[in-house]
Parts: sequence; structure tokens; C-alpha cells
Amino acid sequence: MTRQRYLFCYLMVAPALVLVVALGLYPMLASIRMSFLQYDLMLIPTQGTPFVGLRNYQTLLANPNFVQALVNTLAFVLVAVGGVVTLGLLVAQILSREFRGRGTIRTLVLISWFIPPVVAAGIWIWMFQPERSPINEILRGLGLMHSDIRFLTNSDWTLGPLSIPFFAISVVRIWSGLPFVITFSMAGLQSIPGEVYEAAEMDGAGSVQRFFYVTLPMLRPVLTVLITLLAIGGIGHFELNYIMTGGGPKGLTNILAVMAYQFAYSQYRFDLAAATSNIILVLTGIIGFLYVRQQIRER
Amino acid sequence: MAIQTVSKAKIQTAGRTHFRLVRRMSTALVVTFMAGVILFTLFPFYWMLKSSFQTSADITSLPPIWFPTHATIDGYYRAVTLYPVPRYLLNSLFVSSATAALATFLASSAAYVLARHRFPGAVFIMGIVIFTQLIPGITRVFPIYFLIKDLGLINTYAGLILAYLGFSVPYATLLLTGYFTASSPPELEEAALIDGCGHFGAYARVVLPISLPGIVAVGIFTFLGSWNDFLWSSLLLSQGQMKTIQVGLRDFFSEAGNLQRMNSFMAACVIATIPAILLYRFLQRGMVSGLSAGSIKG
Repeated sequence: MTRQRYLFCYLMVAPALVLVVALGLYPMLASIRMSFLQYDLMLIPTQGTPFVGLRNYQTLLANPNFVQALVNTLAFVLVAVGGVVTLGLLVAQILSREFRGRGTIRTLVLISWFIPPVVAAGIWIWMFQPERSPINEILRGLGLMHSDIRFLTNSDWTLGPLSIPFFAISVVRIWSGLPFVITFSMAGLQSIPGEVYEAAEMDGAGSVQRFFYVTLPMLRPVLTVLITLLAIGGIGHFELNYIMTGGGPKGLTNILAVMAYQFAYSQYRFDLAAATSNIILVLTGIIGFLYVRQQIRER
Repeated sequence: MAIQTVSKAKIQTAGRTHFRLVRRMSTALVVTFMAGVILFTLFPFYWMLKSSFQTSADITSLPPIWFPTHATIDGYYRAVTLYPVPRYLLNSLFVSSATAALATFLASSAAYVLARHRFPGAVFIMGIVIFTQLIPGITRVFPIYFLIKDLGLINTYAGLILAYLGFSVPYATLLLTGYFTASSPPELEEAALIDGCGHFGAYARVVLPISLPGIVAVGIFTFLGSWNDFLWSSLLLSQGQMKTIQVGLRDFFSEAGNLQRMNSFMAACVIATIPAILLYRFLQRGMVSGLSAGSIKG
């Protein structure tokens, strides 16, 4: 009876598992292998794909553009994830109170969830078009600016990885990630029992204190999961940076995923592309492994 | 409610005017903050809609015109006539629907046993599923490109669907495992087993039918995942008439980068957003609270 049940289970799982392994796990391993080969499409007809050890990684580390992209990737994660979590948590906190029009406001705040990344990139490129940007128009109207901000092309001012295009794209990444964070945090806030707040209030805690001494500690497990997911997604992020600037100007918005893509499809250097994407795999894989272990223990 | 009662009691004990002042200030602060957030989230949406209804002359004018004073559907007309936007939409619709159907079909049986049965290796399999779902696509896109190429499926719908299954199946499995765990009472299957259904019979005749709303919802999530994709389709299906809408939009933008066409580009963007909005509305109406919690966990 048990054996029959196991057989049933394996048969049911098999098709999905085969696909997940063949199109998920195996390509990750194949990508690691590729990064140790010379895999230059231009040279394959004459030289094939000889094993070159760590040469691709050495090439990358010697390339200042790669180092810049690596630093940018991490800086984007810090700024965009930090920004979106702070903002989303505040909004979620406000939206969990009872007030008139709450449902409508929630729908309005979640609207960017509906918009595909390519469309989001398109809208924001258009809103960042210097002469016709509504943002520049407002700043001019308020007398704050006399010349237009060149949101996506200004490379005059930099501070480490920070620059105007860097912040412009961070804003878009925050904008597109906000609905997810709000929804996620609201679900977490709902799980905090009201009695805890009442007790805190009895003890004389003000709303700021309640937030820091009740909400945040109680929300910690949810926040950990949220930040883990956002960090992993952020390290491997591709679309917005690629479509909005292609990594420019002067590499100021370049990130690992964009760089890997360009190695492969502009330079036909799949070895360097694989090596670059493996950096992403290592970074996200470590976080992901810890996360999976945690999730499975909870089950 | 309870909190309010407490704070009322507090007003009476604490200095009344001082408390009110603080309260009013913090209310003003909260309202201003929320107004700012709504402006931030909503304004780009407005700007897209507005631009899509402007004439070419209005859209290029300096300074920018904030309202479509000469509202026209010219942009939409050109988006669907000068550029094969309808064709791209159909391509995306087909590829995403096929992916959603196949992925939910494969995922539902796996998710069911992962949620309901204990068997050796189940935890490990679940780990693989979560891990694959978690790790960004860019880490496996290059070998898959060559795999699809070796199969002779570059620039075919089948190739793209196959690639999409790679991230849709783990995603759908994860969502459905959550759904099966949370809903559909085990008593029903036990009854079915006692009535002489086999394990598969209990699944196919009892569990599947009552789980249909959840499966449809997961199908929609999976659909949207493929619908929004740019990375994979830009590599695997980037030529000619078969492009997906996202790749089509991107090419439209880089070809028609000149400003006069911005209204038709924005119109195309609106068109590409409509299916997503319709589906989300449908999800919101429908349902399935257990699932929305699970989908967030993904």
C-alpha cells in the first residue's frame, strides 16, 4: 500500500521535476561550466571551446567596467531595496488603519503593479526627456532649477557609484517594486494581533514608539523574507536598466545582468557572459540557499 | 475600535489641547505623505494616457502640454496600422496562454502530492523548486539559448514556450502547493479513497474540480509572468512577425525614437497594459484569499 502510494507520488511529481531540473538547475550548472571554457562565437569554428580555467574571471576582474558594474549592482540593491522597503512599510502602516476611502487609495497605490516592465521603462524614459519632462517643468515653475536636469544622460556629477542617472533609475525601480512591498507588508501587519498594540498603549507608548518597539520586532520575520526576495531579485535585475539606458552613460547605470547580456549578444563572448552571470549566481545562490533552508525548516 | 476607546480614555487623562495639536499635526503629515505617494504612483500612468491621446504637434510642443487639449485617437490608429501591434499582441497572447496552460497542468499534480503526501525526497524536491524559482533568469539564459538553438527552435513559438516553462513551472508549483495546503479539505479525498477511488481518482475527480478557482488564479499569475517577460523573448523570438509585444514595444521605441511618434508609442504601451489590468481586476473580484497570501510568498 505504501509502496503504491510512493509510486503515485513520484509519478505525479516527475513531469514538473524533470522540467525544473532540465530548464532550471541544469542550465545553471552548464553556465558554470561555460565560464571555464573559451566560448567566443567568433573563434569556435577555428578553435572550438578549449578549457581555460579561471581566465575569464581574470579578464573580468582586470576590466574596470566590470568592477564598476559589480559596485553599481550592489549600490542599486541598497538604494532601491532600502528605498522601496522604507516607503512601502510606511504606506502599509497607514493603509492598515481604518479610514474612509481606504480601498480606493489602496487600488491607486497598487496601480504600477499592472504595468509591464517594458512599458514602465517607456513611460519613464518619456517623463525623463529633459525638455519635455513634467518633473523639470515643475522644478522650473517653482524656481528651483534654471537648466533642465538630464536625468538619464548627465554624467557630470558622480559620488562613488551615485549619479543622476543612477538615482533616476532607482526611482523607477522603487516605483515598480512598491506595490509588491505594500501588499506583502500589509499581509504581515494583519498578522500582528491588536491586543499587542493595546497593551503597548496602556503602557504609555506613543505611535512612534509603537512602530519601533512593537511593529518592527513583530514584523521581523516577514521583513526578512521580503528583503531576501527583493535582494535576490535586485542582484539579478535586468529590464529597467537595460531598456532605459543600456548601462550608460559612461557605465553609470551598468549592472551585472546588463553587462552579461551585452557580452553575449553584442560581442558574442558567451564565456565572459557566463562568468558575469555566475557572479550573480554566487551572490543570489548563497542568499537563496539560506532562504530555502529556512523555509523548509518552517514547513 | 479597541484602540480608539483606549485613546479616548487617554485624552481625558492627558493634556487635552496638547494631544489634539499633536494629533492634528500628525494627521496633516500623514495626509500630505499619502498624497505624495499617490502622485508618485499614479502620475506616470496619467502621463502615458495623456500622451497617447495627444496629437503629434501637441506632444512635441515646448513647454509640455499637461492635458490633451486636442484629444485624438490618432496615436492608437497609427500604433495599430503603421506598426504590427495587434499581431504582437496575438503572439504574446498565444505564447503566454500556452505557457500558463501547460505550466499549471504540470504543476498542479506535482503541487498536490507535495502539499498532501509525505514521501522520501519530497522536502528536497520542494527545495529545488523554491531555489529555481528564486534565482534570477539571467543566470541560466545563455545555456538555454544554445539548448533551444540545438533543438532548432530559435524564432519559434515552441522554443519560447519551452523556455517560459522553465520559470513558470516552479512558480506555479510553489503557488499551488500553498493553495492545496491551505484550502481543499483532506476529508474529501479520504472519503473518495474509502469509496474506492485510487489515489489518482481522488485527485482527478475530487481535488481538481473543487480546486479549479485556485488553479485558474495561478494560471493567470503564470500568464502575466510570461506576458511581462522581455529578457527571454528578446533572445529567443526576436525576429519578424512573431515577436512578443514587449520586444515589439522596445523595437518600436528604438525605431520610432523621434518625438513625433511618442503618442503612438504611448498608445501601444496602453494597449500592452490593458490585458494585465483586465486579468488583475478579474483576480481581485474572484477570490481566493488563501492564494493571494501564497502568491505573495513566492
